[in-house]
Amino acid sequence: MTELRTERLTRFAGLAFTVVYAALIGWLFARQPQTVAQITGGLAATIGAYNVDAQSFDDGLRFFRNDQFVEARMAFARADPAVRDARAQFYIAYSFYRQGWGRLYSDDALYAQGAAAVDRALALAPAGRLVVDDEDLRMRTGEELKAELEAGRQREASDFNPMRVFRERK
Amino acid sequence: MTDALKEAVVLPAAFLTVVLLGSVRIGQAMNLVPPSVFALVLGLLVVRVVVQSGALAPQRLLGSSRSALANFNGVVVLLALWLASAQVIAVLIPESGLPRIGFGVFLLILLVNTAAAAPDRIRLLRSLSVTFGSLFLLKFVVLRELSEPGTSGLKRVLQTLLEGITLGALLQPPSHPAASYVALLSLVLFLVALFLLPASATRRTGALVRRRGDALEAR
Repeated sequence: MTELRTERLTRFAGLAFTVVYAALIGWLFARQPQTVAQITGGLAATIGAYNVDAQSFDDGLRFFRNDQFVEARMAFARADPAVRDARAQFYIAYSFYRQGWGRLYSDDALYAQGAAAVDRALALAPAGRLVVDDEDLRMRTGEELKAELEAGRQREASDFNPMRVFRERK
Repeated sequence: MTDALKEAVVLPAAFLTVVLLGSVRIGQAMNLVPPSVFALVLGLLVVRVVVQSGALAPQRLLGSSRSALANFNGVVVLLALWLASAQVIAVLIPESGLPRIGFGVFLLILLVNTAAAAPDRIRLLRSLSVTFGSLFLLKFVVLRELSEPGTSGLKRVLQTLLEGITLGALLQPPSHPAASYVALLSLVLFLVALFLLPASATRRTGALVRRRGDALEAR
């Protein structure tokens, strides 16, 4: 009787373990994490236990407002090592926009990286809606930033309008 | 090791680990690549020859005499075996070009031929070990060495010549040295797990079947 019970327990525990393991493999295939931090952060986010490092995030904001965009991105990356926080990714995208913005032309390579970051931010935001409440920003939604980054990479007649030099960085 | 432990924990864990390790591609970045449709089809052929040879007795995993939970464990083992077989094949097939097509066709013909030859369990396990081992050496030693960026002037010249002659169809994208170790580990784990599968009680020798204690009988 005990043997039968042990066998049933082993089979059930094995089945549960297999289901969890298979789900983990499926999750890894879907998410394609690149680092151990992304794996652990992603798993923590799945159960709602992931938090960004507040100190590093504040450092990132300070650098961002001082127009030190490379430093800002490093700090935001440190704050969100698993790439699971929509706000951190939004600011990373915004830093690419501001760094790549120019009065005469915009830097396509930086804008492309910004577009990738804003896509990540939108994917991470609940229901894809991302609004960042920051008085210093002129674009506070993911959609505005994405549209600006995409428009900056397009070649059109308005690019040759001399009045462009009077436009302002957002 | 009890049958329950083997069916419920050891075999699914081993095969799923093969799926996970076999999916790792370490190049410029690390990617996890699931098996292609072609690899899944070849994986089915591997399952077929494994069952045919008696290396796996399906009646020991699925049957009306077993409980529903035990049958469920059996289904999981079969699914995991299929996915692991497909993943191992995906690991052994080169990433691109002519070698990818060549290896794929070779594996397809080899598995169909193995099914036609109907080997017994021991011969099948030997055959799969030799075949998969040889493909591993070809991909992770020969092709990798040919495709690795040259360090000396002579190697760079030879590589350029080879690339020109084959129109770039032979050389593979560069991979991290760790990729070979991960692939070898997944291959060895797969072969060990195949060995652990619940085998048929009858011992097959070509077209003849020997039942325990019975005389040889024709099939």
